[in-house]
Amino acid sequence: MLTLINSWVQPDAFQTLLKERSVRWYNACLRITRDKDLAADAVQEALLKAWHRRNDFRGDAALDSWIHRIALNAAIDLIRRRKTRAEDELDPDGAFAEPSAAPDSEYAQQSLEKDLSVAMQRLSMKERQTFLLKHIEGWKLDEIAESLQTSTNNVKSILFRAVRKLRVDLHVWRGES
Amino acid sequence: MISDDELLLYYYRDGLDAAERARIGAALSEQPALAQRMQTLVARLDAAAAMPEVAVPEDVQHRWKAALEQATQQDGHREVRAPRRSFTNLRWLAAAAAVAVVALTLVMQVVTRSPPDQSAQVPPPVDASAYERGLMFHLASTEQQLAGLDSASPEERVRLIETIVAQNRIYALAAERAGEPQLARVLRAFAPILESLTSAGGDSSASVAQLSFELRVMQGRLSAGAEASPGTPSTTL
Repeated sequence: MLTLINSWVQPDAFQTLLKERSVRWYNACLRITRDKDLAADAVQEALLKAWHRRNDFRGDAALDSWIHRIALNAAIDLIRRRKTRAEDELDPDGAFAEPSAAPDSEYAQQSLEKDLSVAMQRLSMKERQTFLLKHIEGWKLDEIAESLQTSTNNVKSILFRAVRKLRVDLHVWRGES
Repeated sequence: MISDDELLLYYYRDGLDAAERARIGAALSEQPALAQRMQTLVARLDAAAAMPEVAVPEDVQHRWKAALEQATQQDGHREVRAPRRSFTNLRWLAAAAAVAVVALTLVMQVVTRSPPDQSAQVPPPVDASAYERGLMFHLASTEQQLAGLDSASPEERVRLIETIVAQNRIYALAAERAGEPQLARVLRAFAPILESLTSAGGDSSASVAQLSFELRVMQGRLSAGAEASPGTPSTTL
């Protein structure tokens, strides 16, 4: 059965996926890295790694998902290796933006939109990575721990901290003080 | 007292042991306010995380393609490439197997279905985008809440509808941020109908029925979108 599955993993399959799914991989890496060059490098690294390790592909997930995961891990590795962005780097304008008033007008809607971006920017690199890997990518806590080279309990703490920060920044929506 | 952290882990179905899950699941079934708190939290996180999709620059696409071609040529796989027909056949086999697994899973779910509770509202597919998962969760719970609207007191009714409207607004914003303006428009179109329910002193069953229908249609389209293009915000309304 394994031989049968591996026989699918031909150059054609990779090229087809590259055409159809690379936007998704790229955007996932871009969310993690916030850097277009790093995201592009991560996808390329993932493609090549997946190709060279295609015999390890067990077929218990879609090839697309497998490459997607490798790309995210590559993105995290690239950040770790290159350290191009400091842990606490913030948008200088966004970092000190005040939360806006309650949204019930077009203006408020725009403010809300701004608040959302600011809220994500306020997260540290590790908080953002953890939150995105959990909330967007649906990774298990222990998978995130492995990728970020930390403990599961630490991942939980980082996730809760990220959520708390997002909640505080979005408190104008809570309808409570 | 159940914290937001615990609610979030319950929503993620991760990081809680069986006893904790059971405790929170029971509390959610018994306390509509707690369920609403969880839905609101998830909605806000979905909105915060939603981002418009960025196109891959053409030169980057070419670079990836060239790198992959070079790697395959180095491995000499061009000579031993399997005929396209056999790949296609295998794809059909895989699709048939996937359909069989899904059908079996559905049958098992029907056979083993327990009485509806809050845990049934937790979003299922891992392949849908986060905000689609959250949206499906929101739509399913809205439908459930609307069904129970008649038995709610006037105050509860107003509070419930206000919560749904607020969550709707957040998901509309999330849809916009994810580059899906049509979905955002449809979600916003629910607002006047929902608001009319707060003032509907008399018979509101027609509005509720209309909303329930719309909600089911949206859920169907979201599910179809997720199946057609797993992992992408593929909803097309």
